[in-house]
Amino acid sequence: MPAENGILKGELKVKGGKLIKCSIEVKNKEIKQIKITGDFFMYPEEKIEEMEEMLIGKEIKEDAIKKALDEFFLEVETFGASKEDFLEVIMMAIKTIKTNS
Amino acid sequence: MPTKIFKDISFIFMEKWRLLLHPANDAFTNMAIDEALLISGKPTIRLYKWKPSAISIGYFQGIEEEVNLKECKEMGVDVVRRISGGGAVFHDEHGEITYSLVLPQKMLPKNILKSCDKICSCLAKGLHYLGLNAKFSPLNDVVVNQKKISGSAQTRRYGNVLQHGTLLIDVDVKKMFSLLRVSKKKIEDKNIEKASKRVTCLRNEIGEIKEGEIINALKKGFENGFGVELVEEELREEEMERAKELREKYASREWNFKR
Repeated sequence: MPAENGILKGELKVKGGKLIKCSIEVKNKEIKQIKITGDFFMYPEEKIEEMEEMLIGKEIKEDAIKKALDEFFLEVETFGASKEDFLEVIMMAIKTIKTNS
Repeated sequence: MPTKIFKDISFIFMEKWRLLLHPANDAFTNMAIDEALLISGKPTIRLYKWKPSAISIGYFQGIEEEVNLKECKEMGVDVVRRISGGGAVFHDEHGEITYSLVLPQKMLPKNILKSCDKICSCLAKGLHYLGLNAKFSPLNDVVVNQKKISGSAQTRRYGNVLQHGTLLIDVDVKKMFSLLRVSKKKIEDKNIEKASKRVTCLRNEIGEIKEGEIINALKKGFENGFGVELVEEELREEEMERAKELREKYASREWNFKR
């Protein structure tokens, strides 16, 4: 069985941009806890906490997370990392489930 | 010639912005003053220093991920989370002049990169007056001969823009790496050497220089870049009051350890 309940980590250095780090706790194929940190810019800043809240409970499937981010990014502007980069780092963390097992 | 007359009296019509020259303050006060300025939105350039030396981390960074808290405590280095994004910075009390700029959003390009370019190019202009070949390097740096001498972070709220950043006078790369938590690999001498090749400071580029000269050069850079005159003033009473309140947030564990 894959170790699905540990803390999963992803780290992405955006080309020509900033660093995004992501740590996720997964339970029953859903995001139980998520933290996204790094030296990127997001306006308004406190939306990052809303973004993390919003991702909790989402199924760890790329299309579900993409859909959630598409909606969220209507309300923010980022600099040094794009919506696609955030999706990439989250999926990077999620994909470690299989490689860790 | 009418155009000459116009040129000669143009300073009368030149917009005047506030220049704040502040003594060294602690990290929490410094960040509180910058936020108080952002709230008031009065066109301002502030030049300041840090005492004691401090690390500021970007809004989105994890404090324990970025900072060697034990080492900071032992060295008497404060740690503060900024209201702005970007990376962790070691503000050496002897090695840096920090600037902050506050303007109403409508006075800067809406595009973040363009606004960053506009402001950083003023810093570069200032450094030209010191004889340095400085230029803006996207996303948010100023470089001299491809080496970083200044980094900035920008935030926008209340219809205003705050950009603050560093100008390195002297840099102790070894100390910096002992305080910042970079991956073990980076602490190895080889990588510290590499970092010192990517980063420079005024002392490396032009040797000893008086602080007054640096301040003058920066002032001229901003005046020239924005076509304004900077007039030295003080904080307003209400800004001081607000900064005093905000300092509590910046000194709190709740704020600094929130990520």
